[in-house]
Amino acid sequence: MTYAPARARELLARIAEPLRAAPRSPELDALLARLESFAALSDEQLNAASALEAAAAPLGAMRAIPGPSRGLVGATSNELKKLAEAELAAQAERAAQAALEAERKASDFDATLPAARVERGALHPIVAVTRELEDLFTSMGWTVLDGPEVETEEFNFDALNIQPDHPARETMDTFWVATPPGAPRLVMRTHTSPVQVRAMKRLKPPFRAIVPGKVFRNESVDASHEHTFHQMEGLVVGKGISVGHLIGAMKTLLRGIFGREIEIRLRPGYFPFVEPGFELDARCPFCKDGCSVCKRSTWIELLPCGMVHPNVLRAGGIDPEQWTGFAFGLGLSRLVMLRYSIDDIRHLLGGDVRFVSQF
Amino acid sequence: MKISYSWLTRHVDLSGVSAHDVARELTLSTAEVEGVHAFLPHLGDVTVGHVVERDKHPDADKLSVCTVDVGQGEPLQIVCGAPNVRAGLKVAVATSGVTLPGDFKIKKSKIRGVESNGMICSERELGLGEEHNGIWELPLELRVGDKVAAALGAQDWVIEIDNKSLTHRPDLWGHRGIARELAAILRRSLKPLEAASASWSAGKTGEIAVRIETPNCSRYIALALHGARAEKSPLWLKRLLLAVGQRPIDLLVDLSNFVMLDLGQPNHLFDRRRLSADGIAVRMARAGESMKTLDGAERKLEPSDMLICSGDAPVALAGVMGGESSKVEGDTSQLVLEVATFHPTVVRRTSTRLGLRTDSSARFEKSLDPELAPLAARHLVHLLRTEQPEVRVVGTPTDVGDWKSTARRVPMRFERVRAMLGADLSDEGIIDILQRLEFGIEANANGACVVLVPSFRGTKDITLEQDLVEEVGRIHRYGNIPERELEGALAPPPRDDGWKRRMLVRRVEDRLALAAHFHQLVSYSFVHDGLLDKLGLAATPHVTVQNSIAEGFSRVRRSVMPSVLAVLESNRRRSASVALFEVGKGYVPSEGHEPLEVHEVALALCAAPAKKDARFDHNSLARLKGVVEDVVRALGLEAGAWRKCDAAPSWANPGRCAELRIGEVLVGEIAPLEPGLARALGLSGELESDAALARLSIDALLGAAQRSKLYQPLPQFPDTLVDVALALPEERAAADATAAIERCGKGLVAGLELFDLYRGPNVGEGRKSLAWHVVLRASDRTLTDQDVKKFLERVEREAANLGGALRRE
Repeated sequence: MTYAPARARELLARIAEPLRAAPRSPELDALLARLESFAALSDEQLNAASALEAAAAPLGAMRAIPGPSRGLVGATSNELKKLAEAELAAQAERAAQAALEAERKASDFDATLPAARVERGALHPIVAVTRELEDLFTSMGWTVLDGPEVETEEFNFDALNIQPDHPARETMDTFWVATPPGAPRLVMRTHTSPVQVRAMKRLKPPFRAIVPGKVFRNESVDASHEHTFHQMEGLVVGKGISVGHLIGAMKTLLRGIFGREIEIRLRPGYFPFVEPGFELDARCPFCKDGCSVCKRSTWIELLPCGMVHPNVLRAGGIDPEQWTGFAFGLGLSRLVMLRYSIDDIRHLLGGDVRFVSQF
Repeated sequence: MKISYSWLTRHVDLSGVSAHDVARELTLSTAEVEGVHAFLPHLGDVTVGHVVERDKHPDADKLSVCTVDVGQGEPLQIVCGAPNVRAGLKVAVATSGVTLPGDFKIKKSKIRGVESNGMICSERELGLGEEHNGIWELPLELRVGDKVAAALGAQDWVIEIDNKSLTHRPDLWGHRGIARELAAILRRSLKPLEAASASWSAGKTGEIAVRIETPNCSRYIALALHGARAEKSPLWLKRLLLAVGQRPIDLLVDLSNFVMLDLGQPNHLFDRRRLSADGIAVRMARAGESMKTLDGAERKLEPSDMLICSGDAPVALAGVMGGESSKVEGDTSQLVLEVATFHPTVVRRTSTRLGLRTDSSARFEKSLDPELAPLAARHLVHLLRTEQPEVRVVGTPTDVGDWKSTARRVPMRFERVRAMLGADLSDEGIIDILQRLEFGIEANANGACVVLVPSFRGTKDITLEQDLVEEVGRIHRYGNIPERELEGALAPPPRDDGWKRRMLVRRVEDRLALAAHFHQLVSYSFVHDGLLDKLGLAATPHVTVQNSIAEGFSRVRRSVMPSVLAVLESNRRRSASVALFEVGKGYVPSEGHEPLEVHEVALALCAAPAKKDARFDHNSLARLKGVVEDVVRALGLEAGAWRKCDAAPSWANPGRCAELRIGEVLVGEIAPLEPGLARALGLSGELESDAALARLSIDALLGAAQRSKLYQPLPQFPDTLVDVALALPEERAAADATAAIERCGKGLVAGLELFDLYRGPNVGEGRKSLAWHVVLRASDRTLTDQDVKKFLERVEREAANLGGALRRE
């Protein structure tokens, strides 16, 4: 039953009826007068709120009502109260729904207002790419090794089959550390390759290892040359390791880096610690017919590599008749630059937060 | 190195093989080609013309008005200023529209009122040399209307080879060597060198006496020539030299260069009249000696330099450059030709020391084959006599030195070659490749043989079986080798110290960059003296390089912190707040040993100064401390304890430096930036900052105790929250008070948070007030008011013991 003024009037009449027949008292008279004042209200005025007030009058004055009538008057009053309350609740719900609807139809919304500032930090891109490569290689059972940046001449040159009179030692490319006369000579390592021999001395073949790290060359600095940069050495020693394995591993590496098959080519390259030695070119991943990255050749010179020279295996205490291996030296800084289209290598170690925060 | 395509065709038939093909073949089998470009493409546009008539210019004495037939339409009227222009000449004509070197565009013009429809060119104007005394007089047999390039056979391509890819191949430093490679790759035959068949009889004693007084010269050939004239070189010679970037001078100089660029063997011509009758001596320089080289420079010599002497007087810096005193002058007809083999290292050291890198030194450095010397001598004589048949060799050539043949015998196993390459090659296939490269095969039996390495490959390049693997592989082509998967037992990498460190570093980086929102730096290992000076570390021993990249950049960091400090100001200038960290290595020198390597994290937090009334923990130091504690927690370590640091690092404000120890292990320090250093770094005035720094030792963190990670049952009974405020003497540490409150709880204190630190009149001079939110909780019951009352009574007694008091509201 829904609320209507007529229904309220009817209930009010049913409440008043037994009261009029009851013995008079001043309290009863007052109650009757009050009930009549409600009954006299116009339909408009006799809304759910007034009806609730009206129902409260007899319920609040039960003691004034003679006993026999109390049951009937109470029940009828409660009926009126419930009816009014239900109506008020329904009205409130309608108002709430209307408010929700209004909220849904907001007109003061601007989708382009800026977000609240959230602080953010960043890993350095060299670290990010190094991790990616470490994860790729460790997932294939390779070990990650580390070696000192200040290296002995022995590991940096001698053990790598770089002869004492080889130009590389004398040219200004090598940073020589001042050492007391007679002490073993030290250099800032010119490549990550010395860790090859350190690895051979520590690990028993067969093994597969990568060595990411910082290297140093005394070169004049410009947009594409830095005196300090990052490399990642790779080394595999095992039984029957061949150039074919090197090609396979390099293709896997490139698939890992670029996420798709990349054509490669090996061409002769000379490095004293490998024989045969190669330059590995990758088909330019950025173009089909020549771009500025590949200098219009469609090939990118990516990394030097080769079969480990028997003298290097020997220096590492490994018998080259029993074991063979391959090694590669990935230019990590260059790869980072390729990956993110960084046009100036000096940004990498320049320490500008605006650079690092982009990654 | 520049290689001329047409020069190569003197040694190998390249029909059907373009210059670009040559470049590709060489790249894939031999050496890195950096580029291929057409030689003097302008010559392709310039036309052979015939000067039909020449009249004087009506208005200028030195100009001629020529009528030139260029084979098309009406003859052209061209104004020419050259003195040698005359009717009947064949000339090179650049017609209007043609562009000459230097982007010089030829247009119709009027010269002193006379129309000119092109230009008659000199050699220099065409990029063909320095000759500019007049126009270029072409051979009269050329056909009018032809393009000059085609008519002269001057069409050529220049192939640039990366010198670095030839360091191990002395045999490739001349056109014949490159041609030999191409012949092997393309299965074509190398044309015989005419000079090789010429008769040659030399002796230890010949026309020119030669004494070798040093082991650094293994062979020296001296040959006397009579009747040679330093006339202009023929066009073919000039053209080839120009193509490879050599400036033609005269026939003698040009042929000497030609032979070097042809065979890779440097040689030298002396003016015999200027040599002593005592003959030639090869010796090392004496201390204090000096000489003037051909370039006019006076060179101070050292005992490591090798000299060619006339009698005792230096006349050439062996293998590097000739001397001024024995220079061939234009009028000589008496020459001595030197063709020698010098020690590669001696030549390289001298040329490096003097900064005198010549075509000659570049070749000697590579270890030349001593057997190349007599061939080069004969080649030069042959070419000279072809141009000037009247030239004679005087007496017997001298050929001395205790050189040994560099031909070698290297044993090789066929199976090893196949296994190393991973290529399916037959024995015959391997032999075929080696023979194409002029290697011989001997004693081929039981899957093995002996390979005879020719002398020109045996100076240092091919000494081992492994070297032969390369020879076979590169000619077979690496691209023909099938790729293979690595096989073997799969095991996780060993969980050794290196692995543990790497994992720990990753967690630290992640926590700092991704949780604490710090920016990671990767910096130089070198640290500038100026910064070390500001840090007061100028006198501290550092690993130091002898040849730094720049003044003051010779020292290698002992710790990572200076690298972070180096960029603090520049970043702060760009941003109100800066949060940086670097994980890296430092090197501490250790006398006579390899330096000690330390692994560290350096952190910096730098912001505008904190507000005066800011909460006690609203500052960089407190924030950074929170970051460090978070890292320690993320690493699963025990929380450790902070205490005032007595030995503050040089970057730290010594009065406000705290150190963190986990158990007994010192893991790092934290402090506001040393105030004087802050000023020195420029963090003052407008850039006044609240900067805090921290250092954590990766090595120490690796050794620190792990926190227990056992599950604790969740609370069953409700928490009771109590605020406790204590007034304490200034010197009493917060940690002491915190520990006291915990003790007072008798096991009920489940949490403590300091939320206020107050100093001021309410607590009195020399005292501070600390206030905590304390969480009390029992594991077996709900706490009552009585429990709280007893707790606070105990706290009041403890506070008195600490010299303070419980503050009541």
